[in-house]
Amino acid sequence: MSKGKRLAGTLAIPVIACIVTNVICLAKGVPMFETGLNWLTFVRAIANVSLVTYALSINLNSGRFDFSVGSIALLASVLSASISVKYGLHPAVMLVLSLLFGLILGFISGLIYITVKLPPMIVSLGVALLYEGIAYTLTGGHGVSFVNNKELLGFASVPNYLLIIVIALVCVVVIFDHTTFGYDYKALISGQRVAVNTGINEKKNALICYTIAGGLMGVQGFISATTTGSIQMALNFGSIAPMFMAFLPMFIGGYIGRYSNDKLGYLLGAVSMAFVSMLYVRLMVNSSVQQVVSALLLVGFLIFLNNEGRIKGLLHPKHEN
Amino acid sequence: MKKQHIKDMIFRIAPIVGLLILFALFMVFAVIKDINIPYSMKNILNQSVIVIVVATGAIFIYTLGSFDISLGANMCVSALIGAMAYNRTGSVLVMLGACVLCAVLISLVCSVLASVFHLPVFVTTIAMLSLLNAGVLMLIGANGTGDIVQVPADAVSAINTVEFKLLVLCLYLAVCIFVFNFLKLGREEKFVGGNPECARLTGLNNSRLAILAFIMAGIGVGLGSFLTITYAPTLSRNTASSVGMDVIISIVFGGMPVSGGARSKIYSAVVGALSMTLLSQIMLMLNLNSGISQMVKAIIFILVVYISMSDNKKNNLPR
Amino acid sequence: MKSLKKFLVLLLSVFMVLGLAGCSGKGEESGSKGIDNMKNVKIGVLVADATGAEALAFRSYYENYIQKQYNVTFMYSDELADAAAESSAIDNFIANNCKAIISFASADRPAQIRKCAENKVYYAVATGTLSDDEYAEFKDNEYYVGAIGPDLYTEFQAGYNMAKYYLDQGKTKFAIFGGATPYYVDMHIYRTAGMLVAMCEAGNGDYNGAKDFGSMIGTIYGMNCQLTPAQIGSVELVSYVGGYDFDDAWFGKLAEAANNPNVEVLLAVGSGLDTFAAFKRPDQALGTVDSYTADAVKAMEAGTLNYLAGKFSASIGPIFMATVSAVQGKPIRTANGEALALSQGYWVATSAEEANNYFTVDSSTTDPAYTKAMLDKLYGASYDDFAKFVGAYSYEEIQNLKK
Repeated sequence: MSKGKRLAGTLAIPVIACIVTNVICLAKGVPMFETGLNWLTFVRAIANVSLVTYALSINLNSGRFDFSVGSIALLASVLSASISVKYGLHPAVMLVLSLLFGLILGFISGLIYITVKLPPMIVSLGVALLYEGIAYTLTGGHGVSFVNNKELLGFASVPNYLLIIVIALVCVVVIFDHTTFGYDYKALISGQRVAVNTGINEKKNALICYTIAGGLMGVQGFISATTTGSIQMALNFGSIAPMFMAFLPMFIGGYIGRYSNDKLGYLLGAVSMAFVSMLYVRLMVNSSVQQVVSALLLVGFLIFLNNEGRIKGLLHPKHEN
Repeated sequence: MKKQHIKDMIFRIAPIVGLLILFALFMVFAVIKDINIPYSMKNILNQSVIVIVVATGAIFIYTLGSFDISLGANMCVSALIGAMAYNRTGSVLVMLGACVLCAVLISLVCSVLASVFHLPVFVTTIAMLSLLNAGVLMLIGANGTGDIVQVPADAVSAINTVEFKLLVLCLYLAVCIFVFNFLKLGREEKFVGGNPECARLTGLNNSRLAILAFIMAGIGVGLGSFLTITYAPTLSRNTASSVGMDVIISIVFGGMPVSGGARSKIYSAVVGALSMTLLSQIMLMLNLNSGISQMVKAIIFILVVYISMSDNKKNNLPR
Repeated sequence: MKSLKKFLVLLLSVFMVLGLAGCSGKGEESGSKGIDNMKNVKIGVLVADATGAEALAFRSYYENYIQKQYNVTFMYSDELADAAAESSAIDNFIANNCKAIISFASADRPAQIRKCAENKVYYAVATGTLSDDEYAEFKDNEYYVGAIGPDLYTEFQAGYNMAKYYLDQGKTKFAIFGGATPYYVDMHIYRTAGMLVAMCEAGNGDYNGAKDFGSMIGTIYGMNCQLTPAQIGSVELVSYVGGYDFDDAWFGKLAEAANNPNVEVLLAVGSGLDTFAAFKRPDQALGTVDSYTADAVKAMEAGTLNYLAGKFSASIGPIFMATVSAVQGKPIRTANGEALALSQGYWVATSAEEANNYFTVDSSTTDPAYTKAMLDKLYGASYDDFAKFVGAYSYEEIQNLKK
């Protein structure tokens, strides 16, 4: 594939998203990026969505559906925020704590999976309930509030979010594309049985996957918590909602991955979704319309993805001589 | 060989044994706590029946190795449409028809979208979930003022009885058992769920089977939405919001493999839903706080499913 | 692995047996009909919210104060999302021999009352009231104890007073967080309507043609509860956000609305601290309907929050006494034998000192706003005495009652 084609394939979707959303905004007389706050919202959306997308895709690409990612973000942020507020810690320390708690919770989740050897979806249902219950019990149902802690809230800035985005991308690319673990991971995706028979330790690999996914969700939980300064409790699977924001960027990432790198694809998928989010924000689109548009975008993209050949055939019919 | 046979048998009956143990525990607690046992029995049936009906239909989808996350939202939309149909016509039969028709139509759209456009079924149901949730708000808005759509309580009080619900449940269960165990459809579904590629190569039309599975599930959702209206005739945007997850939990708790295939059992929903309701009743009697109660449920869920489903002989991790 | 499985089976059994051993509740004691000598009364509590600050404060008052003072056991439902869940929870309570049910859930109150009455279980509404039609239907039902709490007009007034507080200071540019208004939740719709009517009066204008209580409610419903910014005479509703989506777009909308340089005042029908507070600029004012928590007090001290209207947790004490009285055969009814229908408003704090005073009393588990000594006087009281007690709900009036 030529470099030009690779570049075009990589950037097509985010560029289209950027142009379409900006044109709609301008048509309504509202520029998409007017203030620094607009940029902050945009970059935060990229950070949030890309982290959840990495976390979900790590296991989903291996056929492991994980309902517990949201509950990991919830519990990790509850633990890190409680400690940080109590001891007056710096936001960077809270970020590290969130990451650590996320890693530990992800590790526990993976440990349960490889120990009980149940389908991951089932394990994740149990883990989600468990983590939600722990978070609720630890905070007495109140959650954690630090709305008066300007230092922690002050973390929200474009450079900080950009730093997280870049570090997360570099980490997942290095870990999954340039380490033995990453090669094993890909081998297990391509052929589980063959990979195991060649001596790859699947349990270890799965455990690392869950741990990394947990760490990413810990950081996402940190971003969420420091956005409003409050962590609301969730029960009975109330924590699974963040998972749904990752599907479309994940499919977009899969598509972009054909032209470049799938992790970069997830990030560009998140960028595309951030443009759509900004459209909702700037035009104050109500949530019903938002839900319909998001669902149609998901279905539309999947239709395109799964029928690309046919669509191209229709657009460029070959002339039979 | 014999040992393996016995082991298989134990795995097969473990969910039922689990149900019996939970029932025994429930009875012990009930006696100690001096609760109203006849009322409790009626209550357990009342609370389980809707999930059983919806989950039994959903087993057709699970058998194919897929699952539908939009069942609760489908049920809410169908119930709203059913209630609106009643309010227009005053006929309970029309309401029943509207509920079932709407649910089947939604299921059909979902499955046809998946098969015509070659989309993964699960992903289609995620998109459907968003669309249906938005649809619920629009339907409630379109119905006039207020945050509810209501059927007069008198209109459904005559059929809000355990006997009627059991009748609906038994009829639907009988149909599902017949289709699942005695018709080609059930066997083909298990085949596709067990090995889709092999099934395709033998000439089975996976798309046709998916559509039929979704129709069966849609009927269950429609009946579930009808029973929801009879039980609680005031509908809101939160109606049936927990049903989607309850169905998944019940099916798994009942010993149904989420990968589908030959080990799929049509009675899993009955066993699982009753087990979950009994567990909830025990938790209530213990009067634990919400967080601890949820933690205990989670641990018991994983342990019971582990005992009944885990296959440690497998070298590979399940997916 | 096999032994692990055996161990887990054993663990599960031990767990269940331990639960069984530890589950013996309060025994039923025999005694006279006096409040201090009554048999243990099981009361079911229906909750629609298990995590909100207000809901948790109410729960704490019942479990950490009332349950320790009186021979009662409270059984709490899970978070109830819809009418079917409410019906199931009532069935659970009836099966567990609850003699009464106190409800914080409102998906279908008539159905709740009917079911309780059919099963001879007393029923009371803890916060809020029935509609006029509903009250007319159930007021003579002996099992319907009544309702104490803010009625919808009080909710309207809460929103109105909050907006007026700032309008009187000469503020003219507002942003509103409408909470559950897009989901057609009456309580939030009425508070929003109150804010808008206050703006119409001060600005001498109208909001989409409406300017008073009745027309404003109709207008909001007419807009499918999806409000939009508008110029209201000389006052401007600069931005509006509703719903609880908790996604990036929602956070973005909140930030946009709050951080708008044209906005002087942020008004929230609820959850103001969890929504607007983190995004507001220092020169803006923030008012919300919420509960009295340590964080709210700190926010007022820091100047993040300037106006707080909140229910006090002990406000559910009188309805508890009315319920227990009914269970013990000493119902509190009007002269015509009708159920209670009493309105109670909010405690409003506009300074950190006020908020701190309210919070201190409100969060106490030893000396709350309504103590046992005060509540005992309500046991089997006459309607007039009861109504007078409930009507004196302001902080100052309650402090006077304590003396």
